[in-house]
Amino acid sequence: MVFQQEGPDQPVVHNGTVHAPDAELAMLNARDVFVRRPEAVALWVVPADAIFTQTQEELAKAEPADQAASELSDYYVFAKFSQQAQCRQVGQVQAGSPQAAVQAAIATFADKQPLWWWVFPASAVLKNESSEAEPMFSAARYKTYKDQAEYPVVTMMRALRDKGRLD
Amino acid sequence: MYGADVEQIAIQLNEDPQKLADFEARIARGEKIEPGDWMPAEYRRQLIRMISQHAHSEVVGMLPEGAWITKAPSLRRKLILLAKVQDEAGHGQYLYHAAETLGATREEMLDALLEGKAKYSSIFNYHTTTWADNGAIGWLVDGAAILNQTMLARCSYGPYSRAMVRICMEENFHRKQGQEMIILYSQGTPTQRAMVQDAITRWWWPTLMMFGPHDADSPNSGVLIRWGIKTRTNDELRQDFINQLVPDLQACGIVLPDPDLHYDEATGNWRTGAIDWDEFWAVLKGNGPANAERMAARRQAHADGYWVREAAAAYAVKNQNQ
Amino acid sequence: MERARQYALSGYLIALADDELILGHRDSEWTGHAPILEEDIAFANLALDEIGHAKLWYELGADLLGQDKTTYPDRLVYFREPAQFRNMQLVELPKGDWAFSTLRQYLFDAFEALRLEALSQSSYTPLAEIAARIRTEELYHLRHSQAWVPRLGLGTEESHARMQAALDALWPYAQGLAAPLPGEQDLHAAGIVPSSAALFERWSGEVSQFLVEAGLQVELRSPLADMHRSSHSEHLPALIHDLQSVARLDPEAIW
Ligand SMILES: [Fe+2]
Ligand SMILES: [Fe+2]
Ligand SMILES: [Fe+2]
Repeated sequence: MVFQQEGPDQPVVHNGTVHAPDAELAMLNARDVFVRRPEAVALWVVPADAIFTQTQEELAKAEPADQAASELSDYYVFAKFSQQAQCRQVGQVQAGSPQAAVQAAIATFADKQPLWWWVFPASAVLKNESSEAEPMFSAARYKTYKDQAEYPVVTMMRALRDKGRLD
Repeated sequence: MYGADVEQIAIQLNEDPQKLADFEARIARGEKIEPGDWMPAEYRRQLIRMISQHAHSEVVGMLPEGAWITKAPSLRRKLILLAKVQDEAGHGQYLYHAAETLGATREEMLDALLEGKAKYSSIFNYHTTTWADNGAIGWLVDGAAILNQTMLARCSYGPYSRAMVRICMEENFHRKQGQEMIILYSQGTPTQRAMVQDAITRWWWPTLMMFGPHDADSPNSGVLIRWGIKTRTNDELRQDFINQLVPDLQACGIVLPDPDLHYDEATGNWRTGAIDWDEFWAVLKGNGPANAERMAARRQAHADGYWVREAAAAYAVKNQNQ
Repeated sequence: MERARQYALSGYLIALADDELILGHRDSEWTGHAPILEEDIAFANLALDEIGHAKLWYELGADLLGQDKTTYPDRLVYFREPAQFRNMQLVELPKGDWAFSTLRQYLFDAFEALRLEALSQSSYTPLAEIAARIRTEELYHLRHSQAWVPRLGLGTEESHARMQAALDALWPYAQGLAAPLPGEQDLHAAGIVPSSAALFERWSGEVSQFLVEAGLQVELRSPLADMHRSSHSEHLPALIHDLQSVARLDPEAIW
């Protein structure tokens, strides 16, 4: 799964999926597939099977997780607030299991009422280093020819018609 | 069949009438259907068919223009064409992913394509014979695709609709670079003008066929419209396209290869002569000018790449075990 | 800068640009034919970048000659004869299998990274600025090829064999990286460009170690007899013929 941040003050959002046999290739593929135009400042890739999701409905039925069971680790918490919205980062919690992480998320972000919660261990994420941001994302900025605004076809058509009228 | 009410359809499709009614009510409210949601098996089947065909079209669609990248006649045109064909690969990637959310795997879909079981847009079974064909493809073929895709961006299945929104933004670059090329060449040297006229003459009719058969002969249209996958018919989209393109192409001084083309004052529509549907069905069934060549190129790339995919997978496994 | 030196520098830059153009041309041949859809995109990216770099160098070269930046690069690309191109032979070899293309890219990019690092320190500011910009893109190229070389070198028996064969074929041509570019001696003395031979020393060390770690055997073999940039294989005329085929249909046209 690919997550990206579109600007320095923007949340990290789920953006799509790439196929890759390992994390490094997933990162490279994510950059090549999703940053062909200048629209990212950071990329994360997470193996799909590391993501634990729960809907509100499933939560209602879920057993309380045993918090003391195991060692705590960091989990990223993402949530999807409406059907159309992308799944976006709401924060981070410490928990002993994915189930516990969801419950910790509900406690920590009590004001949020998403349709789905997504949690995954921070250790499962490959992020681009900030020193790599330039080489990964700057190239797209110079490729202005990919921008439809570079082709003033409406003006060109108007000029053609005006010329036709004069002839 | 689909003029009937929900209960009858539920019986025909062997679906739970209540679930089907709820599902149709959601679509009627303009809600998007998401991967985990209940959906009729037929909805899933139609979507996988459509999305995978669409993905294949993007991938096969790289070939006719891809052949001209090394020959592009200026550095600017070369960069534009490369970026465009690259976008098509990206579109294929987004769409395979959208189909995967319905349970199809990329491998299955690719196998179906390579075994000749899956279809892709027939337009790519025509040859690109001169450089100006790249302009014609951009303006006409991508222009036609945009109309279809703008409709699909509103479709009821969330992942497909979101992929389409993204794709449409990129397609506008594709269309405009083609249109720019045709406008400039149509006012350019005699060589360029002849090249453009020839390209449009060859691509005009096949592009009109891209919208698919007339509504009356389109077997899947009913259910696709009922469930909000398609929101407009083939003929409506085709008419929009004709109305947009005819005046612009004529302003460029290009003559369209249709003696019956005329403007219908009463409806405000441009009317074309009859489309040669025999040609359409022949190309669709695999007898177009380039069907064999396109499939051979895809099969070759897939076979040649086998060892690379295998090596990457083997390396990942070795590294995990360390 | 004095006229003679401007002239020399433009010759140097056009040779650099020729390398980028021809390598980008070979990369672009993978578009639609790569082993994985994602690599169609990646190789198209490499090609876009390399051809973009060529354009930047041609433009600076045009500037130094007092020529129009917007039209002169296309004159150079589309209306020179093959014998007038100054690219090294390494980049003109046909794309081969994916091992060959990936390894060539690695060998070339690893050298380019060093050259750009040096050029970004050039005493001629316009040159230094462009080098710095190109360098950011090249860092990504290197990451891409550094990911693939060990995967293919160590992946399976077949991928290893293909990589070793590619290396054996490429290595003699890669020695051409040591050859000076046109005008290099004087420009180097003036602090404008680095010495290729010195960069080559560093490159050999780094690259050999990396290749060995990727399971490949690096054999020291004598370089090709003629590494001069005015000598080409039979592959270049064919490539140039293809490249120029449309533009030359109508030399007066604006394409
Ligand atoms: Fe597309
Ligand atoms: Fe480069
Ligand atoms: Fe490079």
